[in-house]
Amino acid sequence: MFQKSSEEMPVQNEELPKDPDNVETVVGPSVHVEGDFNSEGSILVKGSVAGNVKTSQLLTVEEGAKISANVKAGEAVVAGEISGNVKVANGVELKATARVAGDISCKILSIEAGALVHGKVTMKGLESSKPSVTRKRGLTAKVKEEEVSGQ
Amino acid sequence: MYVYLYDNFLKQKKFASTIKAMETRLTDFGIAGKIIRLQNYSNSKEIVDDEIKRGASAVVIVGNDTTFGHVLSRAAICKTLFGFLPVGQENSIAEVLGIPVGIDSCDVISRRRKVALDVGWFNNRYFISRLHIPPSDITVQYDEKFSVSSRGRAKMELVVCNLQPFEWKGTRRRGDIIVHPQDGKLEAFLRPVLGKKIIRDIYEDPSVFPFEEMTVSSTTPFLVEADGKQSKETKITIRLAKNRIKMIVGRDRKF
Repeated sequence: MFQKSSEEMPVQNEELPKDPDNVETVVGPSVHVEGDFNSEGSILVKGSVAGNVKTSQLLTVEEGAKISANVKAGEAVVAGEISGNVKVANGVELKATARVAGDISCKILSIEAGALVHGKVTMKGLESSKPSVTRKRGLTAKVKEEEVSGQ
Repeated sequence: MYVYLYDNFLKQKKFASTIKAMETRLTDFGIAGKIIRLQNYSNSKEIVDDEIKRGASAVVIVGNDTTFGHVLSRAAICKTLFGFLPVGQENSIAEVLGIPVGIDSCDVISRRRKVALDVGWFNNRYFISRLHIPPSDITVQYDEKFSVSSRGRAKMELVVCNLQPFEWKGTRRRGDIIVHPQDGKLEAFLRPVLGKKIIRDIYEDPSVFPFEEMTVSSTTPFLVEADGKQSKETKITIRLAKNRIKMIVGRDRKF
């Protein structure tokens, strides 16, 4: 009898949101925000936002939510719609229902099957290897010039 | 010298023993002082100002949340140290301040742990506990940067919490929502009305926006309830007055 109740407990815990206390700003499902929207804490968008969204922490865009402007965040979990560029310092998680029409710039990107992205994806890890490629090109060009002058 | 402002309801017989025990405890601590009984229409600011002139070193409010809000909404401008001795029911602010209800609160007063508290300000008035606007056709603008409205122009309920927690009555399935304020910032909780049932309205989950300045406006006058006092306005600006009140608080305060 006691074992049964102890097995049921973790299931109840799973249903709770991950960190309810960490969410500082919540935009409800039938709420519309217009204008530039900055927050120092995490932002949870369930409704619609027409304007730039900026936070240094986690931005969560739930299914059915819509952001029509550029987004800048520390981390982002997107299950809704974003029409604008997304610039994230760390990781972006695109859920199956996510729709992003704009460029994505981030460090880590995870995309679930079914998510739609229309735009350029730039990841920070690749930028560091770019200069070495250009140097090589530069070197080969010089070598070619020397070869031409030698002839 | 300590000055004690007693609420009118403390005259009731059921509080007599508690009050007597508290007075004895305060005498033991050597902080007993002048007792003033507040009436319904007494101006707390004038009383506090007079007592400061007579050399009061601390003004202690004795009563419940209503007494606390009633005194400090007027006397927040007065530069003196405030204390609070919660007695009876409806003492949610005391919990935030870490002051136990009843005789034990005298220990907190005697320790004199001082903290500067933030106060809400709207239309030339202070509010200590919370500001509440029942469902109305309102538009809210935050820090002159972004505005918030409900889709389909539904009515919205607004609560700005400063010190007093607010309990929203939810559905049977979801249960009640209790909003816990924090010191250091004002938090606005918005809840659009989705529809109407026979007994009460159906509300959406609240939206939360921390802010420094907020303007609430409407084309038609809407009801504003701040610290239990009601007024009708068409436009209000709400701000946070930082470190306005010096207050004696307990060790278990929630900020």
